[in-house]
Amino acid sequence: MLTLIVFIPLVAVLILLFVNKEDTGTIKSVSVGAAGLSLLISLALLVRFDSMEPGMQFTETFAWVPIFNINYQMGVDGISLWLLVLTAFISFIAVCFSLDRKEGFRNFMALLLALEAGTLGVFVALDLILFYVFWELMLVPTYFLIGIWGEGRRIYATTKFVLYTLVGSLLMLVGIIWLSLIHFEATHELTFDIQTLVHMNIDPGTQLWLFLFFFTAFAIKVPIFPLHSWLPHAYVSSPIPVLLILTGAMSKAGAYGIIRFCIPLFPDAVEQFGLVIAFGAAAGIVYGAWIAIAQRDLKALVAYSSISHLGFIALGVFALNGEGIEGSVLQMVNHGIIASALFIIVGILEKKMGTRNLNDFRGLGKVMPVLYGMFMLITLAALGLPGLNGFVGEFLILMGVWTSQLLADLSTIYVLMGGLAIVFASIYMLYMFQGAMQEKNDQIPETLTDINRGEFSLLLPACILVIIIGLYPKPIIDRISPSVESVLTIEKTLNLHTGEDKGGHH
Amino acid sequence: MFTYCWLILIAPVTGFIVLSWYGNQISRERAGLLGCGTVGVSFAVTLAALSELVLDSENKGGVSTLYNWVTAGSFSLDLSILIDPLSIFMLLIVTGVGFVIHVYSVGYMKEDPEFSRFFAYLNLFIFAMSVLVLAADFFFLIVGWALVGLASYLLIGFWREKTSAVLAARKAFVMNVIGDVGMVIAAFIIFEHLGTLSYLDVFAAAGSAFRPNDDTILLITLFLLVGAFAKSAQVPLHTWLPDAMEGPTPVSALIHAATMVTAGVYLVARCHVLFDLAPYTMYLVAGVGLITAIFAGSMALVQYDIKRVIAYSTMSQLGYMFLAAGLGMYSIAMFHLMTHAFFKALLFLSAGSVIHGLNDEQDIRKMGGLRHAMPITHVTFLIGSLALAGFPLTAGFFSKEAIIINSYHAEMGNIFFWAIAVLGAAMTGFYIFRVYFYTFIGQARTDVHAHESPFIMIAPLLLLAFFSLTAGFGGGMVDEFLVTYLGTHMPHPHDPLLETIGVSAGLLGIAGAVGLYMTGKDRLDFAKQMLAPVYDLLFNKYYIDEIYDILIVQPVRATGAFLKERGERLGIDFTVDQVGIQIREVSRLISLWQSGNVRSYAFNMIVGVVVVLMFVVFQ
Repeated sequence: MLTLIVFIPLVAVLILLFVNKEDTGTIKSVSVGAAGLSLLISLALLVRFDSMEPGMQFTETFAWVPIFNINYQMGVDGISLWLLVLTAFISFIAVCFSLDRKEGFRNFMALLLALEAGTLGVFVALDLILFYVFWELMLVPTYFLIGIWGEGRRIYATTKFVLYTLVGSLLMLVGIIWLSLIHFEATHELTFDIQTLVHMNIDPGTQLWLFLFFFTAFAIKVPIFPLHSWLPHAYVSSPIPVLLILTGAMSKAGAYGIIRFCIPLFPDAVEQFGLVIAFGAAAGIVYGAWIAIAQRDLKALVAYSSISHLGFIALGVFALNGEGIEGSVLQMVNHGIIASALFIIVGILEKKMGTRNLNDFRGLGKVMPVLYGMFMLITLAALGLPGLNGFVGEFLILMGVWTSQLLADLSTIYVLMGGLAIVFASIYMLYMFQGAMQEKNDQIPETLTDINRGEFSLLLPACILVIIIGLYPKPIIDRISPSVESVLTIEKTLNLHTGEDKGGHH
Repeated sequence: MFTYCWLILIAPVTGFIVLSWYGNQISRERAGLLGCGTVGVSFAVTLAALSELVLDSENKGGVSTLYNWVTAGSFSLDLSILIDPLSIFMLLIVTGVGFVIHVYSVGYMKEDPEFSRFFAYLNLFIFAMSVLVLAADFFFLIVGWALVGLASYLLIGFWREKTSAVLAARKAFVMNVIGDVGMVIAAFIIFEHLGTLSYLDVFAAAGSAFRPNDDTILLITLFLLVGAFAKSAQVPLHTWLPDAMEGPTPVSALIHAATMVTAGVYLVARCHVLFDLAPYTMYLVAGVGLITAIFAGSMALVQYDIKRVIAYSTMSQLGYMFLAAGLGMYSIAMFHLMTHAFFKALLFLSAGSVIHGLNDEQDIRKMGGLRHAMPITHVTFLIGSLALAGFPLTAGFFSKEAIIINSYHAEMGNIFFWAIAVLGAAMTGFYIFRVYFYTFIGQARTDVHAHESPFIMIAPLLLLAFFSLTAGFGGGMVDEFLVTYLGTHMPHPHDPLLETIGVSAGLLGIAGAVGLYMTGKDRLDFAKQMLAPVYDLLFNKYYIDEIYDILIVQPVRATGAFLKERGERLGIDFTVDQVGIQIREVSRLISLWQSGNVRSYAFNMIVGVVVVLMFVVFQ
């Protein structure tokens, strides 16, 4: 099933390469079909998922490069399950949102689907090399999508994005190889299987380096302050559909990597660095929110608000307890839904008004009552109104931080920083919503109309999910919990100093 | 046991959903009927619960749980409501006064093109307030707390084309978010120490977990107070309330006088077990209440907007409630909350009737002589004013005098508290009768031909006027009903001297207004000249808005702009770019030996990986 979910978009990419560039009808049906099918299968997966089982489910293993014991190995647990479904969902929306593109339609679609496949793969790969391949597969399509179809300083933005991310991922590659060499030394068996490697008890000094190699890649991807400076450029230059996947799905890969790899593999290093990294996350929460207040460009405003919200997610992870990490995973889903809906709204407004500058907007609610209502709902969710989904995540995260043992010394300060950012969020989100939709405006173009049926149906799922998750988050949390508990209580059965003879642990 | 009480929540939220979804497809009559009907259902159900509690003296209420809402880590929470005397008492006011104001709104908003949206928001408010009151734990308290803030935001900014309304709505929202954050942090501390957020468990465990005045309990109560003060517009988080008068008048009556702004007082009463353990905080509660009482009262003395005067009056009366609560007299605070709900709603609705009759005029300098054109409104406004001023035997008399007299006789009371409270009472009598004389007495100062409001607006006025006159006699019943939760009876100290002074203070204020506003303009002008500096200070609301602007708003904005322009672009971004540029320079030198770019990149990459790997292997 997982293979189907990941490879259907890739197959569609191959098909698209043989389709006539002018044949938009076929291109549309192939890409919508592929993204839709992927989403449907992922939903079926969701239904069949066993919520009581903390370990990996739907696993698939095939030998890939037998000499190095590299396997094609996939599986999902309660953490990756939601990110997988989220990615399939956001990608489907992104594909639908790009249907009226003109220039290079076929190539755009092909690259978009390739990006989807890469992101999906990251969340299900259980073999480190496979993970790395998907990780890089996310990068390449993004480079071209922003470089070719972007706007503004797109070459600068995309180069910066790729180089920045590449620095991280190459370090990670070194880390991956080093890690498996350590295992090889101890057991004389080469493996890249993450489920085996996590049981290794690595010497704290080595952990420190390995952690830094892995963490840099993830921290850049999230991004954690102050490694965020690629994000505003990339987001502002990026076409909206690409942006949806960037913010909705790909930004979660970093935090996911920390939960999946850093915490179970390098617990000592995490404890050593946790306090500092959490400070970066908390600083980013305030920093992003503060800059968002000063932004007038709608895209940049949402981009900086994303930095703030992603900071919450990173902070929750380093609380290193159930509430914090479960809140973070939930918040990844929430942020994916909310931020992508916000960017869709920005895209709609820009398409209709020809500008993204907030100063040029005013009083649009009068002629766009439907968008008004949906925009308001998403705004309220984004500023963390209790009763909607954003609040549940932020509450759990901050509660986790407050009660965290790792952050105990500074948890009060971190929570206060989070609280400040929540106040700021209400300021910049209301600036944005009220500035665009309220007050009196006599100069609204007469041609301006409310959103059409298609745009409505793109926003509707987000609006519904925002309410449902806000009212009843239990079904999601219940599936996350067991897996998070198992990540936090991983057993280090393979002791490298004394256990050289114990090799072959399976 | 009380499962049917969920209807209190379900009815208004149904109204909200139907009205906001189908609002523009159904007629005004039906929208109004639906809006009022759903609140009527809530009120009826509340009455049923009340009768169950009253008729069976053994029945102290209970918790009704629907299902487990979330479990994450060690945090677990059920979706449940708590039915007990305090919540039912509060709900009676919310749904009862709410229902009356809904009916009034049918007349008041008749001409508004967005009639059904208004009722949708009003229903949302009733729902949110019921969540706040019925919550059985701190989490859903916060949910309700924020949702009433949302409803308040939506209704303040209801006329969304009016810039001042839009700004006022945002201000109210942001200040209330500050309060919400305070409450959330209080919940964290409670959870950290007691491992639960459920009221009953927290209150049961608090006594043994905390020593009086220990740091933790002080922090909990202080953070709770941030929420309470923000919601109830107490100094220094009060500046949003006068601006909130931008909303339609029924909103001011319902949300910004009778119900939502009293949530802070309700919170203190609800958590009295915690506050009893924190006498230091209690002094703060009483002190802030007292300061707000005279601070707001003094500003009310000189305002010309009829609604703003009543708004400052609301702040001031809320101050009295906090004073009572801070002195440990929770039942008196709740009693005053109830009488205040009646007479303040009455005053607002009467003011609304005036505004309605004068085609949206709110400046009292342009009113005058309305007693002839609007005889019923005149009487109801007078009754409301008398009750507010504490005129003997009106509702306000019983509750306010109880607070004033006990501010001396309570365990923590003293003559200082009492004196300020009396001063506030004198101000109250003065400012409300100043408005009364300006509005209803004398000659008309405008050409607008005033007309009395329709029956659908008059009937609610008469009903509220009745309660403003009689509710004071129900003090004993209120006390008896609430004592099972609050634990202590209302004290009834006997002190004829202080009582007489207290009552005369209000009358003296009235007399002062008569002296200045009834008997000639000269004296008024003279007084204004003599007190010019004070007058300016009061008229400009102590310049608090300006001070906040300079101390908080401007620095926040400037810092944001600074971070955006300097920190981000010239700081972080520049540094990162420099790293890239330097590397490019170096690699350009290296690549001189290479033939093509692609190869050089590949070469560099491989060299890099190999070097690091060698380091790893041979270390």
